Amino acid sequence: MSNPFREDLVSRSRPEACTVVIFGATGDLTHRKLIPALYNLAIDGELPTGVKIIGFARRDKSDEVFRDGLKELNREVSRNGHDEEIWGDFENMVEYHQSEFQDADGYRRLAERLDAIDAERGGKGNRLFYIASAPEYFDDVLEHLKSAGLNESRDGCWSRVIVEKPFGVDLASARHLNEVVNQTFEEKDTYRIDHYLGKETAQNIMVLRFANAIFEPLWNSRYIKQVQITCAEHLGMEGGRGGYYDKSGALRDMVQNHLLQLLSLVAMEPPTDLSADGVRDEKVKVIRSLRQWDSPELVEENVVRAQYSAGHVHGKSVVGYREEDRVDPESMTETYVALRCMVDTWRWSGVPFYIRMGKRLPKKATEISVHFRPAPNVLFNATPGETDEGNVLVIRIQPDEGISLRMVSKIPGTTLRLEPVKMDFHYSTSFGKGSPEAYERLLLDAMAGDATLFARRDEVEEAWRFIDHIQRGWHDSGEGDELSMAEFVAGSWGPEEADALLEKDGNSWRRL
Amino acid sequence: MNRSEEMMTAPENAELLGVEVPVAKIERKLRELWEVDDARANASLINLALYSEENGDLARNSEIVREITREHACRALLIGRDVSVEKVSVRSWITAHCHLVHGKKSVCCEQIAFHLTGTSRGRFRNTIFAHLQSDLPLVFWWQGNLSGMFNESLYRRIDRFVIDSSDWGDVVAQYGRVNAAIEEVGLVVQDLAWTRTYHFRLAVASLYDDLVAARSLVGTRSVKVVVSEQYRTSGLLLLAWFAEMAGWERAQDLIEDDGHGGSYRFETREGGLVDASVVFEEGGAPIGMIEVESVGVCLRVSREVGGKHLHHQFISEGHVVDLHGPVDSDFRAELLADQLSRGGKNSLFKRTLPTFLSLLHWEGS
Ligand SMILES: NC(=O)c1ccc[n+]([C@@H]2O[C@H](COP(=O)([O-])OP(=O)(O)OC[C@H]3O[C@@H](n4cnc5c(N)ncnc54)[C@H](OP(=O)(O)O)[C@@H]3O)[C@@H](O)[C@H]2O)c1
Repeated sequence: MSNPFREDLVSRSRPEACTVVIFGATGDLTHRKLIPALYNLAIDGELPTGVKIIGFARRDKSDEVFRDGLKELNREVSRNGHDEEIWGDFENMVEYHQSEFQDADGYRRLAERLDAIDAERGGKGNRLFYIASAPEYFDDVLEHLKSAGLNESRDGCWSRVIVEKPFGVDLASARHLNEVVNQTFEEKDTYRIDHYLGKETAQNIMVLRFANAIFEPLWNSRYIKQVQITCAEHLGMEGGRGGYYDKSGALRDMVQNHLLQLLSLVAMEPPTDLSADGVRDEKVKVIRSLRQWDSPELVEENVVRAQYSAGHVHGKSVVGYREEDRVDPESMTETYVALRCMVDTWRWSGVPFYIRMGKRLPKKATEISVHFRPAPNVLFNATPGETDEGNVLVIRIQPDEGISLRMVSKIPGTTLRLEPVKMDFHYSTSFGKGSPEAYERLLLDAMAGDATLFARRDEVEEAWRFIDHIQRGWHDSGEGDELSMAEFVAGSWGPEEADALLEKDGNSWRRL
Repeated sequence: MNRSEEMMTAPENAELLGVEVPVAKIERKLRELWEVDDARANASLINLALYSEENGDLARNSEIVREITREHACRALLIGRDVSVEKVSVRSWITAHCHLVHGKKSVCCEQIAFHLTGTSRGRFRNTIFAHLQSDLPLVFWWQGNLSGMFNESLYRRIDRFVIDSSDWGDVVAQYGRVNAAIEEVGLVVQDLAWTRTYHFRLAVASLYDDLVAARSLVGTRSVKVVVSEQYRTSGLLLLAWFAEMAGWERAQDLIEDDGHGGSYRFETREGGLVDASVVFEEGGAPIGMIEVESVGVCLRVSREVGGKHLHHQFISEGHVVDLHGPVDSDFRAELLADQLSRGGKNSLFKRTLPTFLSLLHWEGS
């Protein structure tokens, strides 16, 4: 039954009341991100009436103890602060369900519980299952959901699943996961979270490109010389992160999902419409068009990996990667990766897309820079070396979200001297109000059945296909030996090899 | 101008408006303001004009702008017109409102205040419009009753026209003029009386997400909106919105306005009749309640005076929803800031307007 009063109130698809079941609800993700996101939606009056939240985890806990734990963290991290009155209502929506992921009886009890909630709600049984557990449990959870019949949409109600990263560790495991998921839920009911897509600035890439007539005509190889995507982190392996990271590495942890998603937003063709599949059809074409670095030679030529050695970040001395807590002292896991990608389409023929991601770089920043070709070398540019740099459009994703454009201008004076200047737009300066957290938007979208900002199966698999070639190039390049691992001092902008990667094309990394 | 005349034309609390500068030098003096301290960033996304014909409003509006610029970078133009003085004069002051963003960067917005006397429409308009920042939209907040200054050559240049119909004496006449401008030039109107209903509307909409509530809508018998008398237009807008969204038509028979509110009647799509009323409560919250009743069920969104939350309730046999949600601010500055954040062209307001106007005119029909 549609709700006429929702019409027009917010100009996007309408979230519907449902029960959210979180698997792994005693974990960090639930406490730091999911519950605060749901609570902030409640504070803003955006959460549909009738939403219930069930936390599913192993430990024995009462509802009260579970709620108290959530409240404690919410106080600390909630974006809009913590209001006892609203929290009081909110926590009444939250219940705890104790069960092992592998225990069929736990799911049977869950089904009964959900039915009781539906009955209380007046019969409508929309369900949103959020799998916030380590990936090794995905199979268990999904299979048991199926056996308990919880995956089925009934009486016009839906049943959807949200899956967290990492979505596989390579193409084979991602395919396997996708098969397990798709045996349980249809693709249209599967929502793979990539929280980068929930970020305001990432969403703004499409707006910038397609709502402004001045960029799109220049958005091709004729005018664009190169594109750089940088994701720099100053953190290392604090808080025991090393254990997880050492098994993953920069390429799989960040590039396969977030950075390739950003690349596809920059490089995609205009979609025919803004529907989830309209947009994702175009994005996946970009990933599919990536030239594959499918031999050790190609990997060596186009990809640089590195680890940081001891150095200084933000004035503090830090240890090298192999000395970090829970990291194998002989680890061959990259903490830095730089790639040269080629998108083999008509539009992008010959334009390199460089991606770099690293831990223990000088600062935290995620940015995309689009480097335009310089104006022809006549008139003002005739003096060599003076202004051979073209315009650069920068989209800053985090932390200081904004857009800037570098242009050339005359220096005041009687002689004709030219210098680059920057036009800069900062979101925080112009819009005082903070953006919602990515998880808020994404949870609401999943309740509304809008999958635009979620990764589709083919996107994930195509991305893994690209990444797998590189992993293979690194780890089994013939006689069991590994391709080289570069090194750089922590707190610097990465290894020399990464600079050389761009120099070959006559380019250099943008200074951040 | 001699000294005594100058005293007469000075606005109250002029010292709160910044530095007085000659009109011809406003832009130059603003630039000098920036040169003093280059650590500050000048930002603006809109031109925000606040117009009032009440003495004392310039200083008060300067405070409002200070609040609004926390969230909305703008160039602010305060215009105070003293209609009691015949002699034509213009005085101006400049200042900047600065706020720390995320505790570090100081972001500042410029403000120009004009104090006008006498009647010389063209001259005022030109003085003011010469100081807009180019290419940025003009949001124009007209405070109080519309006067002769509200005419086509003014509103043609406005991108969003903000009013608060709860300030008006003769709402029918005033809305008539606004509506004519909407029809004539497609003026985008944002009535703060409408903004004030936002969280009530959101709460009603979210209660009807509930299945039992949704099913009860067809059987609705009555809708009651309680407001304090000054906020009558908010009450009517809320009722009009409800009727419009529910797909009801105005039924002709019952008309009553007893001075304590008004009673109306609607016909549902299914042919049922619904009694509706807007009731005044002395000393109550601006909007105190909307209550919708059908057989055996009651949906209610209510607020205590000064309450920080709305109370959302849906009560039927064996099924109760009882929650708290956010509330709209009682302060105009915050209401305007919220309205600006929501952006858009106010399509829902436009959709509600005919029903609202028909409720306003009900007495006359
Ligand atoms: N944390 C983040 O910010 C973040 C960000 C992005 C993605 N992720 C991904 O999200 C997932 C969860 O992350 P997390 O940090 O929340 O993990 P976590 O803190 O280790 O929490 C794991 C959760 O799974 C439950 N669990 C483990 N084994 C179980 C079993 N056999 N039966 C029932 N419950 C079991 C645990 O319950 P008990 O405590 O009761 O044992 C706990 O609630 C991971 O895939 C991670 O990669 C996390």
